[in-house]
Amino acid sequence: MASKGVCEEKKDADNNEESDVVPDFEPGASLESMLVTTDSFEELEQEMDSSFDERQMKESTTSTISEIQEELNDTTVPEDSSSEQDDKIIENDEVEEIASQLSETSLTSNEDANAAATPVGSLPEEDYWQNPEWKERKKHVFILSAAGKPIYSRYGTEDKLVTIFGVMQALVSFVQTNQDTIRSIHTGNSKFVFLIKGPIILVSVSRTTESVSQLVLQLTYVYNQVVSVLTSSQLNRIYEQRRNYDLRRLLAGAERLIDHLLNFMEREPAFLLGAVKCLPLTPSVRDSITQTIVQTCGKIKNLVFAILLAKSQLITLVRMKKYFIHPADLHLIFNLVNSSESFKASESWTPICLPKFDSSGFLYGHVSYLSDDCQACLLLLTVDRDVFFTLSEAKQKIVEKLRRSNCLEAINESVNRPSYTASQVGVPEMRHFLYKCKSTAQFWSPALEPPYHTTEESQRLLGLYQALHHHLHAASRPLKLLHQQLDKETMLGWVTSGFELYVTFEPLITKHSAINAVNKLLRWIKKEEDRLFILNAPTF
Amino acid sequence: MTSKSEINLQNFYVYNSSFGQKEGEEDKKILFYYPPKTDFDTQMKNVGLSEAIIKFTDTFNADQLCDALHTQKTRQLYHQAEQGFWMVMTLSIPFVTKVKDGTEYLEYQSDDVQDNVYLAVLRQSYQMFRLFKGSFTAILSSSGADVTHLKQKLDHFFSRYLLTLKLNHSDILDVFQGIQFLPLDKQTFLHVQCFVNLIEATFAQVKQTAFLYNDQLVWTGIEPEDMQVIYRYLVTSLLPAHLETELQGGSMPRHPTSPFSSSHYGRFVTGPPNLQDASGNSWKVPKVYINNDMTPELYHLVVYRALSATVCMFIEGSLQLNLDFFKRLDIFLGPHLTTLVSEVAEHCSRQAASSSTNSVDPSPKFVYFNKLNLAQKSTVHLDNRRSGNVAVTPEVLRLLADINADKTRMSTTGEIILKTMSDYWVVGKLSNLREFYVVIHQKNANLIEINDEVKRLSDTQLHNIFFHD
Repeated sequence: MASKGVCEEKKDADNNEESDVVPDFEPGASLESMLVTTDSFEELEQEMDSSFDERQMKESTTSTISEIQEELNDTTVPEDSSSEQDDKIIENDEVEEIASQLSETSLTSNEDANAAATPVGSLPEEDYWQNPEWKERKKHVFILSAAGKPIYSRYGTEDKLVTIFGVMQALVSFVQTNQDTIRSIHTGNSKFVFLIKGPIILVSVSRTTESVSQLVLQLTYVYNQVVSVLTSSQLNRIYEQRRNYDLRRLLAGAERLIDHLLNFMEREPAFLLGAVKCLPLTPSVRDSITQTIVQTCGKIKNLVFAILLAKSQLITLVRMKKYFIHPADLHLIFNLVNSSESFKASESWTPICLPKFDSSGFLYGHVSYLSDDCQACLLLLTVDRDVFFTLSEAKQKIVEKLRRSNCLEAINESVNRPSYTASQVGVPEMRHFLYKCKSTAQFWSPALEPPYHTTEESQRLLGLYQALHHHLHAASRPLKLLHQQLDKETMLGWVTSGFELYVTFEPLITKHSAINAVNKLLRWIKKEEDRLFILNAPTF
Repeated sequence: MTSKSEINLQNFYVYNSSFGQKEGEEDKKILFYYPPKTDFDTQMKNVGLSEAIIKFTDTFNADQLCDALHTQKTRQLYHQAEQGFWMVMTLSIPFVTKVKDGTEYLEYQSDDVQDNVYLAVLRQSYQMFRLFKGSFTAILSSSGADVTHLKQKLDHFFSRYLLTLKLNHSDILDVFQGIQFLPLDKQTFLHVQCFVNLIEATFAQVKQTAFLYNDQLVWTGIEPEDMQVIYRYLVTSLLPAHLETELQGGSMPRHPTSPFSSSHYGRFVTGPPNLQDASGNSWKVPKVYINNDMTPELYHLVVYRALSATVCMFIEGSLQLNLDFFKRLDIFLGPHLTTLVSEVAEHCSRQAASSSTNSVDPSPKFVYFNKLNLAQKSTVHLDNRRSGNVAVTPEVLRLLADINADKTRMSTTGEIILKTMSDYWVVGKLSNLREFYVVIHQKNANLIEINDEVKRLSDTQLHNIFFHD
């Protein structure tokens, strides 16, 4: 643990102007991290600015998966390397098989997703764009091919929206004829954001207060969700072969995942922060869980990641040396687990592509819940497609050991315990906060209390955080500090080299009290850090 | 460090889709296109894109108009100036050349072009057109719906106006388009008012009058919405140009017979430059249309200046102005104005002396705007010429417009304090319809100190104005 002590005053030129206000330390900081800690927004800017061709080049020359396979297979397994070749020229049939496999695993009973997928209105013959209810949706998301073929619409069936898809495609290609790229259209209350990713176009039509870069980030997630089902190499190849291909055939199962992902992003600050939240556990319990996984799986070749999670919070993550997981990939995994009821019923074997890890190939995941009496989900991700039974066996052993060491109980206890609230920190004027530790890409936030306990209010709160985040991270004019007095609350955002803090206060709090509150909060997080964060980065 | 390219005007067009709906007559919908050398196909394509974008956005929200299109390399602003008449302005996004992995690439700085600022620039261009030419619909109906006439007026106005746009120095003041007022003591103010009344009583042709000292407005009888456009024209265009010709040695002495015996300093800024030369037909007085939203009124705008004082007289547009009228005006205005201006000047120097204690500390800079009376004051800007003469960095100046763009979230009152990476503190306060922005460059300050500093500043600079804390 490398965190600096509370009382230790660092005379850092960068931070000392606040040293009289807040002690300079970074709760939750760690020298090692299992997560890639790049700022998602910086990355996004790069992605938007570099041309697609460059990215493709990079992707095809550095396939992490084949790198692992080569390293582990000692070059004596020609069979495997040829199967790798097969992968590259995989037939469409096989992809469809994989896709249908996925659609089976993701048969969801999630009500949100169902509601979202339900067509609007009772007039199936009518075009949606003439339907006021459809038009007034807060956020539409469309996916289409570069040729204008509908792939996905968040609301309504694509077939009824052919005209709109056609217009979107025309706008994109018109601007392209000027060697330029369309980014967004702005009207009084809406933003129309375009993201062109190789052979597909993603469009968001939003009436929310989110910034363009935040909407682009969401579209990137949606794109990554598509890649996660197909791999980028497969996606590109399909359109190289048939420009007019109807991708819906392959994405039948993934639609649910996208629906769910979009709803997920509307509630979770994790996406905005590019960080992951951990399930609070005492360090000894967490260590013992981690050690159990390391000991049981340490001998299994080709195992890249073991991930244990519950309630969209990370319990532990064990990784192969040298390899890290990007928070964006982890978010997709959370989404997959959350939207797939079938994982609860039985252990599953599912191909999954982690776009940030390696967008060109699949990892294979053994996915299962620990037991009927412990709703934590374990994912064992490997590059080897034939080790289901090895991993299944490993999982059984892990569960047995965890049960014996009372870790299942500890997990259950934490899952069922109501989360900390802001008031437990002991600062009465503070209503809520988000704290992100930059060096570990982990964040923590308390449970939502009144007045933010309703869906509407909690979404408004997330909107406030998004606006705050946008100002602080504006690409050309980034800020260190922002204090904003609004009608219903006072918001404070503070970015240092070590952490990002976003706090919601009572509207009439004085600046003096706000600063004291922040001090007190940071000390509290420091005190709790080994429960709220994972401070090490275990490997097999 | 590589240098940044500038914001350039790529094109600017005015169209109305309801014209030229017949096949083969599509060209009729384009009323003005800049640059004029653009081939017709390109014009049609670009107008077509604008039409498509407006229609597309309309699909999703019929009640909100399209404001802007962002592409990687350009920014396009939209303004429906009158029903069906769209004005579109396309700007290039500045870029810097960067090197990554040994290859050069261009990084476009799209945040440098702020929608709210350039939408304001576009709206101003319409207001300025309307001031001098009247509204589109009025022009059309005066010529029996013949588009040619409108096209000529658009071309006549915009082909010159567009060259005067200072796109790289547009900022939050363009959004406000406020007026700088000169506060006077009661007596001096009454003298100015008496003078104005005297003009209007003596010359029945003068319907309205405005009085300025330097670039500050002292008195006006014109409605604020019109005055802000006229003020802008005077301060950024007419007066600077006039000063320049004067500085160039006064090539045309006003009283060539007896330049030294002249009892006053007055001269016409718009009007005959030489009152003795009866043959001089080379002068023109601009005509302006005001009150365009209700019943448009046409006036001659005669501007007369003595030393730092400027009098703008709005004379009934139907009248013919002859040299004799100007002579009578000059005889009346010259002596009166010369005495009045020294009184105003005296007051101002007294003010400057007494307030100099406040301005000793030059560090905090501020911009103030009151939407109710359009009053504006800025110590961030060192002059009124929009030439980029500012006391803060361009980034900080843009932050002011960022805050302004975000103020919709603050309803009627609110406050935002932020600190940049380069240790500038920027404070934005909103109270009812007043906006107050402060910039403080103080590395070692904290939130509370900055808050106190802003309080001090608003106490000394904006007495009597209540800001919610």
